[in-house]
Amino acid sequence: MKISYNWLKDFVDLTESAEEVAEKLTVSGFEVEDIIYVNKHLHDVYVGHIEKIERHPQADRLVVCQVNVGDKNVQIVTSATNVFEGAYVPVSLEGASLANGVEIKPTNFRGVKSDGMFCSGEELGIDDNYFEGASVNGILILPKDSKAGQKIEDALMLNDVVYDVNVTPNRPDCNSVVGIAHEVCAIYGKKFKNPDYAYKTVGENVENYISVDVKTKECPRYMGAYIKDIKLERSPLWLRSRLHAVGIKPINNMVDITNYVLVEQGQPMHAFDYKYLDGKKIVVRQAEKGEKITVLNGNTYELDESVMVIADAEKPVVIAGVIGGVNSCISNQTTETVFECAVFDLKSVRLTARKFGLSTDSSARYSKGVNINSPTFALKRALSLVYQLDCGKIVDGIIDKYSAKLAEEKLIKVSYAKISKILGIEIPKEKMIQILSDLGVESFAQGDVITCKLPYLREDLKNDNDIAEEIIRIYGYDVYNNVDGKSFEGANVTVGKFNERLSFENSLKNILVDSGFYETLNYSLYSASACDKLLLSADDVRRNVIKIANPISEDLSTVRTVMAHALLLDVAYNLSVGNKDLRFFEVGRVYQPKSLPLKELPVENNRISLAVCESGFDFFELKGVVENLLLGTSLEYKLERSKEPYLHNGVSADVIAKNGTVVGSFGKIHKTVLKNYEINQDVYYAEFDTDFLSSLPEKQFATKEISKYPTVERDLAIVVDEKVTNAELENAIKSACGKIFFEVKLFDVYRNVLLGKDKKSMAYKVVFMSEDKTLTSEEINAVVNKVLKSLEFRFGAKLRQM
Amino acid sequence: MKEKLKEILKNGLQKVEELVDLKALDEVRVKFLGKTGELTQILRGMKDVPAEERKEVGSIANNVRVKLEEAITNKLCELENAKLLADMEKEKVDITEPSKGTKKGALHPLTRFNNKFMQLCVEMGFTVIQTPEIETDYYNFEALNVPKNHPARDMQDSLYITDTILMRTHTSPAQVRAMETMKPPFKIVCPGRVYRNDNDSSHSPIFNQFEALVIDENIGLKDFMTMVKEMAVRLYGEDVKMRVRPSYFPFTEPSIEIDATCQMCKGKGCSLCKGTGFSEFFGGGIVNPVILEMSGIDSNKYSGFAFGPGIDRSVMVTNKIPNIKYLFRNDLRFLKQMK
Repeated sequence: MKISYNWLKDFVDLTESAEEVAEKLTVSGFEVEDIIYVNKHLHDVYVGHIEKIERHPQADRLVVCQVNVGDKNVQIVTSATNVFEGAYVPVSLEGASLANGVEIKPTNFRGVKSDGMFCSGEELGIDDNYFEGASVNGILILPKDSKAGQKIEDALMLNDVVYDVNVTPNRPDCNSVVGIAHEVCAIYGKKFKNPDYAYKTVGENVENYISVDVKTKECPRYMGAYIKDIKLERSPLWLRSRLHAVGIKPINNMVDITNYVLVEQGQPMHAFDYKYLDGKKIVVRQAEKGEKITVLNGNTYELDESVMVIADAEKPVVIAGVIGGVNSCISNQTTETVFECAVFDLKSVRLTARKFGLSTDSSARYSKGVNINSPTFALKRALSLVYQLDCGKIVDGIIDKYSAKLAEEKLIKVSYAKISKILGIEIPKEKMIQILSDLGVESFAQGDVITCKLPYLREDLKNDNDIAEEIIRIYGYDVYNNVDGKSFEGANVTVGKFNERLSFENSLKNILVDSGFYETLNYSLYSASACDKLLLSADDVRRNVIKIANPISEDLSTVRTVMAHALLLDVAYNLSVGNKDLRFFEVGRVYQPKSLPLKELPVENNRISLAVCESGFDFFELKGVVENLLLGTSLEYKLERSKEPYLHNGVSADVIAKNGTVVGSFGKIHKTVLKNYEINQDVYYAEFDTDFLSSLPEKQFATKEISKYPTVERDLAIVVDEKVTNAELENAIKSACGKIFFEVKLFDVYRNVLLGKDKKSMAYKVVFMSEDKTLTSEEINAVVNKVLKSLEFRFGAKLRQM
Repeated sequence: MKEKLKEILKNGLQKVEELVDLKALDEVRVKFLGKTGELTQILRGMKDVPAEERKEVGSIANNVRVKLEEAITNKLCELENAKLLADMEKEKVDITEPSKGTKKGALHPLTRFNNKFMQLCVEMGFTVIQTPEIETDYYNFEALNVPKNHPARDMQDSLYITDTILMRTHTSPAQVRAMETMKPPFKIVCPGRVYRNDNDSSHSPIFNQFEALVIDENIGLKDFMTMVKEMAVRLYGEDVKMRVRPSYFPFTEPSIEIDATCQMCKGKGCSLCKGTGFSEFFGGGIVNPVILEMSGIDSNKYSGFAFGPGIDRSVMVTNKIPNIKYLFRNDLRFLKQMK
């Protein structure tokens, strides 16, 4: 919201500098995000009076001008052809820095000195809309009554300072100059000076000219006035200057007045060309499906019942609260006008503006909420400007149709004790009442109760907390900068508690970090193509994805159901920039809908995923990482060949809990998937469900007494068919050993054609131990023979001979 | 005879003294003490010594033997020790060569910040909770005093899924879920991801916040500030300074923005803090009683405060991270700097 400092001065006597006022507004809740100096590029530019023009002795296209700039004369060399003796022109002198970036220094033009430069409108940052002649191709010729030596910013009324104020949504009343002026009054304890609302009418009656019919609930109030014999012309410079400062293009007096009121009062208005209102009627209604309107931005929109319009007897003439139609707008031929000053429902305007992608000064204000009482004042103000500018004759009477109850001054009762408790500091009751009255909230105290009379615009004030905030923001929040003394008196002790899953995930993170992994963070939104890239089958439940209705881009259009995509992208990216030996992990969520379209919240499942792309890394190293991760849990699991479509089906495993739940998977990434991600090295990947793992009971330990007797080791190398698995062999060895089995470990796998086709040699270290005696070698030999026989019987295994 | 023995002792001790290696030491031992050694020879000749002198000579000879043996043993120790030192000298390594074995990786800076902060919250009596990232309009907006079409919705550009379900735009729904399920007094904190329809050089569509809520009896702004100050001190050190500014959140009243000493410049003023020496720390305020009542908490008995900052910026500042996009880019060259 742009607020002009000069405009504020209409309502508050300000001697404080623009910068100081900005600072005070910020600390009281109206953050001034930027201070814009309208005269930023106008210093060292003055009004000059050209006294004499001579030809340049050396150059045909140049002239030498003697120019009076008040207390001195300067010489300016120019090539401009529209200057003449006696003309008043803007002269930029040494030190000036113009809007187009030109820095002014005295220069020599072929032996003739020039003290500066004449300026065009463009160089001063203005055009014809603001000042007549400012758009000509040449020097801006100023009016004959200009004063030589006057600063150009004063001559052209470009000496304002504008604040860009962040008005919070609870204060729609402050999207206006008067709203902010009230705040400035409260800050300094100054008196608010009311705007001029006075005007005179010329008799007759507005109802003879126009009738208004409100046919929709979305328009709680519609006011109108009729003006005839309009003298359509430029607004006076002071008015144009105000609009220009806040970035609104001056057009003509009628349109400018409506815009002026919009900015000053925060009330959007519209001016119709009366002669184009068919049936001399204004109807506020919802549009009919298929109706069309061409509006002031040149576009034509097709309307439907959701759009509120202002229509005449025949057709829509305005998209209500948003933008006017070209069919009835003010033009050079306009002689009679109807002013509209209405309240439209904020939801309706908001939805319509969004529907057509239109954001206007009017829709922006309506979308924030315009008070039901606001048109009363705004319309008076607009008519007083018409009267003041003498640009038309105002007919008696005002049209005022309202369905909603007009706001009255409300009374609320708040508690001094409660406010003091909310603030936690001592502010005397008298001080509170003073602050409230400066804010326009007349208040009085009776015992603990403070009764507040709320101005009709302050719909945001409802309870003790609201009043507490009003008091403290004016009193000054800096009292809290250094808190000391007692706190939390009368409060209770609470015991802190970590979140079990987060703590569990942290323990996994630490294990991985110790194993050389780096933690990554990835977006939980991705492209729907992730499912294809990962080769998910058509009936994979993870293809039921949640789609964002208004995505930022296709890449961020789908809520993820799979983790692997993100880490594979990370690996691909890192390889592409030349990073090597990648060990990454991520803790994140996948989101699985229960049904689509989404009717209830989806299941959010927390998972940990890891990926390794490193030369020499293999499946069994990955398996080691996985085992280390699972070791911290009480999970009892078995491995089965993985069904994950994106994993290499021969080099991957699913981790399956006792109850059959697939807790996670790990293995080598499928070669096609690697291709899909443009990765040309093997990637190993693992993923686990941390919701499941963290919900397991804590791991329990039951240790046994350490045996007094020594262990005995024997190495056995046996040759078996390729298809026999380690697990089968280990189990067979274990059961054949019986009671004296201690442990078995595969330490070598050897393949050679000499062993036979599809054969391999598996070398085991078998450890024996008895709990009640030292084992003799005869006993061990007997058991080893039993083991070999069993292996031969079950798997055709032979003791390796070579 | 006595003279001979003295001679032997003198020679022997001198020989031992001159020795430099173990092999020569053995030779000396043989030369004097061996079966055919000089001293042995003398002792063998004892029978020729007159009986009255035999005792005295015997005693002298024995003394010579003990002294020589002692000298040899000492020398042996000395030489062995010298050899050990020489061997160890040969094993000397270049300690500046690189280390071996698996190198540690690193946690993401965000995790480290979160862990530190959660630790702090738990010590201060907070329970860490987690709530959904995909939320209903009710929890994300309505129960936080932001009805449909409320202008406050403009402050947060949302990513919608359906008319009533969206990606949460803040962690504040955790407040409502806590108030509905927990009995006051309580303190909760909920770290998590939030989503906005916003993606440019200084904004990420996904970022991280946490939400903290304290509901208790007799709670006011001063208590809030006391706790925040303690948090700032623990995170940034004793000499941190605070600054309070007014703000607006639909669910708190009064609402404030709290700045703390800019950690980039330590308060000296820099481009990040626009020369003010302060940067945004927490935003929050006193829980609007309307919210308490909506969630079934008696606002006459209980009051509270809520705050919930974005933490990405704090992570950036405390780790001097130059670009917010680094947080999600996962470039190893960046992550390695976080060890």
